[in-house]
Amino acid sequence: MCCSNNNSEKDIQLVKQDSSYLELIKGMQFFDPHIHMTSRTTDDYQAMADAGIVGLIEPAFWLGQPRTGVDTFRDYYSSLIGWERFRSSQFGIKHYSTIGLNSREANNEALAEQVMELLPLFVYKEGVVGVGEIGFDDQTAAEEKYYRLQLELAKEAGLPVQIHTPHRDKKRGTTRSMDIAIEHGLDPYMVIVDHNNEETVKEVLDRGFWAGFTIYPFTKMSNERMVDIVKQYGTERIMINSAADWGISDPLAVPKTAVLMKMRGITDEDIRMVTYQNAITAFGQSGQIDEADFAAVKEIDQSRKFSGNTVLRGGQQPRIDKNSIFIQ
Amino acid sequence: MFSYPVKELSTIISTIIEKNVNKEVFNWLQEKIHGNLPSAQFNAAFAMMPRKTGKTEITITDTVSNEIDQIYPGLSFEGWTIDRLSRIWLLMSRDSEQENAYVAAIENLFLAADMNELVALYSALPVLAYPARWKARCAEGVRSNIGVVGTAVICNNPYPAAWLDDPAWNQLVMKAIFTDKPVDRIYEIDRRANAELANILLDYAHERWAAGRKINPQLWRSVGKFIDEKNFADIERIGNSNDPLEREAAALACYNSNFLQAKEWLNRHENLKSAIENKSLTWSSLALEMAMGS
Repeated sequence: MCCSNNNSEKDIQLVKQDSSYLELIKGMQFFDPHIHMTSRTTDDYQAMADAGIVGLIEPAFWLGQPRTGVDTFRDYYSSLIGWERFRSSQFGIKHYSTIGLNSREANNEALAEQVMELLPLFVYKEGVVGVGEIGFDDQTAAEEKYYRLQLELAKEAGLPVQIHTPHRDKKRGTTRSMDIAIEHGLDPYMVIVDHNNEETVKEVLDRGFWAGFTIYPFTKMSNERMVDIVKQYGTERIMINSAADWGISDPLAVPKTAVLMKMRGITDEDIRMVTYQNAITAFGQSGQIDEADFAAVKEIDQSRKFSGNTVLRGGQQPRIDKNSIFIQ
Repeated sequence: MFSYPVKELSTIISTIIEKNVNKEVFNWLQEKIHGNLPSAQFNAAFAMMPRKTGKTEITITDTVSNEIDQIYPGLSFEGWTIDRLSRIWLLMSRDSEQENAYVAAIENLFLAADMNELVALYSALPVLAYPARWKARCAEGVRSNIGVVGTAVICNNPYPAAWLDDPAWNQLVMKAIFTDKPVDRIYEIDRRANAELANILLDYAHERWAAGRKINPQLWRSVGKFIDEKNFADIERIGNSNDPLEREAAALACYNSNFLQAKEWLNRHENLKSAIENKSLTWSSLALEMAMGS
């Protein structure tokens, strides 16, 4: 979601795809607890499934283009729990979401009021595993107001909270987000603080919150730094995500980081904790994640599409040979 | 305002649900059903249904299935999950005194529904009050690209055959074939066959042939009655196909036709004709063969 202006010729050359690194993590399962699939293509879904991603969480976020009416919010939330979930299932990936009013758009107060009325309709839906992503962007008064209101909503619904921490003034914004959550009586164990870095991780863990790390080129963590963090802090309450969206980002950030951790001597069990289990434990507090569904989604279309008759064909998307010049 | 005996059906559903959930859940549901809830609470109960009931598939005895079919021909809960049936029961209980308020409230559920809620809502079309008010909604459901949602409208659902006009009905059949739905589960597909639909399907068949693609043999089911000198060549084409399923489809189509050449064709294919006459070859048996073969 950003770019640097001093690209050299080499930086903008097309690179030939080589996915042989996947051999190193063959058979491992991954869960990406923060990825905006609405902004991604079917090629991404296929690559993610091939790399071992079995489940993901898509937080409601800012779509890039500001929304001007409450109906587009409703359609967006509906698409997260409807169309996008279906699209994901076609590639055998179980799709969950967190629902919330993102901090940027909290600044449009007239609209934010209407969105707040809409949220209770969506937080009780199946597969909604939290209120998110909410928190601070500019750290304005309006952002704080709607952050607080949504913490109350999460508390009432018994749902975890997924907190977005700001790009600017990150450290203070992160501390303030946690202070307010505690002020509202939330158990830190129900709160996932996202987009951490070396500066914020210690306080987040010390105060008992979950720490999400986003592996995202240029603006957030690199996976090499991530390996060092796991070496230093261990795996407790730490989870890795891609936050892939409409910017230059990598939907394979989680499996790729697993590869790097493996190459650098981190044990399979530790890798499993930060790339799969911790996220499921944290968001599973919603009561909405059942690991058995990860296997079921691989057949779900076939079995559901035809009312329990699993014999009939249909369902999963057929594979096409990308290297063929024939498009049939 | 209801097109069927709502009390009787509600009683049967209540009995099925009681057998498929524990006492605590059943009491919760009954409270919601008899509570005449204000909108917000009704919507919340509808949304949180699977959190309460779980999502296991219900079991229904043949006796109960037959009872349901007698009260409401075409209605079937087979293969349904408990949350789906419970949602339908909740919808049936909604206060329907005020027509416009009722329609608006149900429509509102469609607007913010997730996948499984849409499945429940579209399966509920035949049991909602003011059936004439749901035609546009039904046609909208046919347009869904989400497999399970489309199936809920198209298959084992008696609403479309009863209420859709021909253009919308034709779109439903076309879409079913296009998206590989089990066409034999479309209620009253034979009664609603019409000449326009036959032409649409024939056009589609030609398009598939031009592209070198296979055609779902069930397509010919809605063509049979309208075989004439203009399209008989198409029937002969599938009648001479290498694919036995297509030859059987040709025979079934001819069996439904009064066109002389079609009858002659069938007489020349004695094996197929006798299979149809002794009921070992039907559109349903063909559907089963298709399923086994794929």
